[in-house]
Amino acid sequence: MPQLDFSIFPSQFFWLAVSFFLMLFIFSRFIIPKTGEMINLRKAKIDEYLEKASALKVKVEKTLDKYNQALKKATDEANASLRETQQEMAEMVERRQSELAAELKHQIEESEAKINAGKEKALKRLEPAVEELAQEILKKLDFKNIKAAEVARAVEKVKEN
Amino acid sequence: MSNPMEQFEVKQIIPLQVGGVDISFTNSALFMMLAVAASTLLFALCLRRRTLVPTIAQSVPETIYEFVSSLLRENVGPEGLKYFSFIFTMFLFVAFGNVLGLFPYAFTFTSHLTAVGSLSIIALLFNIGIGIKKKKLGWLRTFLPRGIPLALAPLIVPIEMISFLSKPFSLTVRLVANMTVGHIMLKIIAGFVAALGVLGVIPVLFNCCIVCFELFIALLQAFIYTVLSCIYLGDALHEH
Repeated sequence: MPQLDFSIFPSQFFWLAVSFFLMLFIFSRFIIPKTGEMINLRKAKIDEYLEKASALKVKVEKTLDKYNQALKKATDEANASLRETQQEMAEMVERRQSELAAELKHQIEESEAKINAGKEKALKRLEPAVEELAQEILKKLDFKNIKAAEVARAVEKVKEN
Repeated sequence: MSNPMEQFEVKQIIPLQVGGVDISFTNSALFMMLAVAASTLLFALCLRRRTLVPTIAQSVPETIYEFVSSLLRENVGPEGLKYFSFIFTMFLFVAFGNVLGLFPYAFTFTSHLTAVGSLSIIALLFNIGIGIKKKKLGWLRTFLPRGIPLALAPLIVPIEMISFLSKPFSLTVRLVANMTVGHIMLKIIAGFVAALGVLGVIPVLFNCCIVCFELFIALLQAFIYTVLSCIYLGDALHEH
């Protein structure tokens, strides 16, 4: 087996050392730094972006917190104002209602009074006619001894009933 | 039928002798150089235009980069990233050696005990170097873990030494055996093609499947070699 021929060992060792160290020189001097450069640059860039992202996240959280606080404050304020307005409105409604009720009552009373006055006036205007009619009837029925005053009293009596 | 072992023969291309030691440039050396050239070229091409959002070509070296660095982080720890270049180069060197060997007429230097052994020796020396650099004399504790009575030292020290030296050996044998077996299988099945005539289509199809499988094995073995090297590196750096 040629693999077990140790007489070629010096030559093999010499050339292997030469080529290996030549390769080591080339790679450690040129290839590896070139490869690593981009990898490290990329890593640095990614780290930078990650850092930026986490900083932005903190900022966003802070802003969100602020926003939530502002929202809560605004909600509270709005609720308070709403409550106040509701109360005010309820009061106003009540006041208006009582005002309206009072006015309506007043109007009703006024109208009732007017009606009553009209009724009375009409009745009053009716009175002489009724008396006259009664006298006329009496005259027609031949009740001559009944005086006008009596008729008026009777009419009054009917009216009272 | 041609000899399936023929493909593993190391042939001299440029004979070279220094101080009586033969260091001829062989086809094995040629493919080592090719692995270096191919990996460098491929990576250079992929990294030609680099953008923050990676292009498809760019993501290839970046994926390997991330993969090796996660390997180091998991098996050695964050301090292992200091040796990133070494492990990264080793992974690519072995992976390219394995994959290049799959091309027809190519030579697979990772199927040679002497070649992979050399790489393992380099890795071992590297481990010893950083171990001594980190722990100074305390590195010798590797052979006599803390809490072992001194009386047991004559027994423990040789065992630990053997286990320490067997690590690169097992690394080497695993890779070499995998590569050798795969290539022999390919060659033997390819030998049937001509012998079977029209029915030779069957071994051709079979070989196609095996090549795909071998490609997977080539990358897997490079991965295993690298993972184990990482673990041994971790052992060199930490107490056990």
